Amino acid sequence: MSAGAKKRIMREYGECMADTPPGMKINFDERNMTKWEVLLDGPDQSPYAGGHFKLEINFPNEYPFKPPVVSFKTKIYHPNVSNDDKGSMCLGLLRADEWKPPNKVVAVLRLIQTLMIEPNPDDAIEPSIANEYKENRKEFEKNVKDWVKRYAK
Amino acid sequence: MATPAPIEVPPPNDRRGSRASQTSVHTQDEISPVGGPPTSPSPLQIRASRESSRKQSATKQPPDLSLLQYVSKPDSNLMCLICHCPFSDPLQLECEHIFCGDCLHTWEAQQAQQAQQRNRELADRKCPTCRTKYTGTRAVPKIIASMLDELVVNCPHTRAGCKWVDQRSNVKDHVMLYCEYTPVACSSFDCRHHIAQKDYHKGCLHYTVSCEQCHTSMMKKDLEVCVTDHQRTACAGRSTNCPHCSCELLRLDLKAHIKDVCGKVVVPCQGAIVGCAFSAERAEVVTHEKGCPMATMAPHFRDQQARIERNEARLEPLSRKVGILEDGLSNITNMLYPANANDSSYPVTNPLDPNTSEPFPPASLVPTPDFRLPPASFPPVPPNDTSQTPFQNPSQPPFDSQVHHLLTLHDSLREEVSRIANALTECEGRTNMMVINESQRVKDEMLHTNAAINGMRMQLHWLMSATLHQRTSSSASSSTGRAAASTSASGSGSAPTQGASRSGTGGTYHAPLRRLSDSTRQDTKL
Repeated sequence: MSAGAKKRIMREYGECMADTPPGMKINFDERNMTKWEVLLDGPDQSPYAGGHFKLEINFPNEYPFKPPVVSFKTKIYHPNVSNDDKGSMCLGLLRADEWKPPNKVVAVLRLIQTLMIEPNPDDAIEPSIANEYKENRKEFEKNVKDWVKRYAK
Repeated sequence: MATPAPIEVPPPNDRRGSRASQTSVHTQDEISPVGGPPTSPSPLQIRASRESSRKQSATKQPPDLSLLQYVSKPDSNLMCLICHCPFSDPLQLECEHIFCGDCLHTWEAQQAQQAQQRNRELADRKCPTCRTKYTGTRAVPKIIASMLDELVVNCPHTRAGCKWVDQRSNVKDHVMLYCEYTPVACSSFDCRHHIAQKDYHKGCLHYTVSCEQCHTSMMKKDLEVCVTDHQRTACAGRSTNCPHCSCELLRLDLKAHIKDVCGKVVVPCQGAIVGCAFSAERAEVVTHEKGCPMATMAPHFRDQQARIERNEARLEPLSRKVGILEDGLSNITNMLYPANANDSSYPVTNPLDPNTSEPFPPASLVPTPDFRLPPASFPPVPPNDTSQTPFQNPSQPPFDSQVHHLLTLHDSLREEVSRIANALTECEGRTNMMVINESQRVKDEMLHTNAAINGMRMQLHWLMSATLHQRTSSSASSSTGRAAASTSASGSGSAPTQGASRSGTGGTYHAPLRRLSDSTRQDTKL
């Protein structure tokens, strides 16, 4: 990883610290700065309220020319998060051909928060959950709360 | 290059001293023949070759602009969106987005690589921000470049101890030329480490030594560079006891402690310089000094002493100056009044010399310039009482002072010059008048001559026309007879010889012919 990329990550961390979005905490390891650990509280106006979700952001060596990889370490019932061990996130912004170097990590984190408030079923990674979200909102919310209780307390 | 010459002085306890000195001998051999025999290369060449060889050994890295520390947070508009640093070597795209040159190139390389992975040609380059296609880059506007140049940065070697802070445009010069903390290759040939430029001339410091007190082994460089830090904070044997008062303190401070602080050391009274003979432990001396009159006076004496020394130091150059001035003055005196008064080059008539055949004529009677001394401006001394003194001492100037004499001489010379200048202008005016008169006369004469010439030309024309007319009339009326033609031919033949001398008579002679036809006359006129 080039010195420039390291410096950029350091800078972004500084920006995040200066202006952390509410309900978010970032753990940063000086020795391995390419891996961030983010603790995210479920937004109040969403069914995820009350849950604490652990995210991992991995910066590739080519960062910022390649997008960072965001994954949920805590299981979450969400149409845009894969329902497996990886918990990989499907975010338009994070696709290789959509990613732009000027994008910032803070923007990614904010987007994740809005996505928890309002999932995007049209660009889903879990079609069944997306369907449920579209057709049976109550059932979806019940499942969400159930999962929050089970995994995200 | 500001690098000091590589004088290699092996440190006193250098384990590798032999090797270091060998290498130094080697370099000395290469460098030494400056100003050698004429066949040896000129010092300039030697210097040039030395410069280049040193460059190889002490190559410096130019600073990386993206890693600089900025004194204040730069304007967010000057930040590259890719590296989040102020632009370095910025380039502008057609969509007017600006990026660092390096960032943009990396981005392009990345795009090309991705396209290759998908087995596609990279069709278009797109702006990293707005994805607008672009075909080329151009330089950023001047204002942005100058704003970037004016950003204030710290020296990249701030951590090593450099305190330099200045505009970003100067940082390269600073690091490459002036910064003492720029790492350069070690001066030793077989050493691959780097060392700060200011320690370059100390030779290779990359060998292990042990601290004299704690026997910790460390690089000589570190001990040398931060010896105080080590002995103050890290060294295990850094604390010691004062041999006099047995208090504990840093070994580093021991000397200062004994000299100035320690109460048990036997010191003399402060008044010793004035003559107090008291000498005891410092604590006692302090109480003694309170009552000792000499000790109270000592500071004043010391001040005086210092002042005297200062004045003496100031006096020395002054006295040297006076000596030089005196020398100069005596030179001038010798020039003006040589010891040999009979010297023919001595143009000044001694006004008091009774031997002078012609005493001073009054100035009013001297219309022509003379370069003798002007009448003395000092009251003439009656000759009866001092007439002998100049004789007895010919080198003594007869004036009150040499300066006075010189001044009067100068005044008279100035008068002379102004008189000459006046005469010159007068002369010039006279010459001018003469020239004008003369030229007027010449002009008049020329007018006369011109008029005469014009008259002669008129006559010539008239004669010519007459001749031509005669000829045409004779050829036209050839049938009139040979006799008439021969007379006219003879007349015309004699005309050139006689025309000038007897133009008046010719005019009268030809006049009737001229009246015969006006048309021919016009032809000749033309």
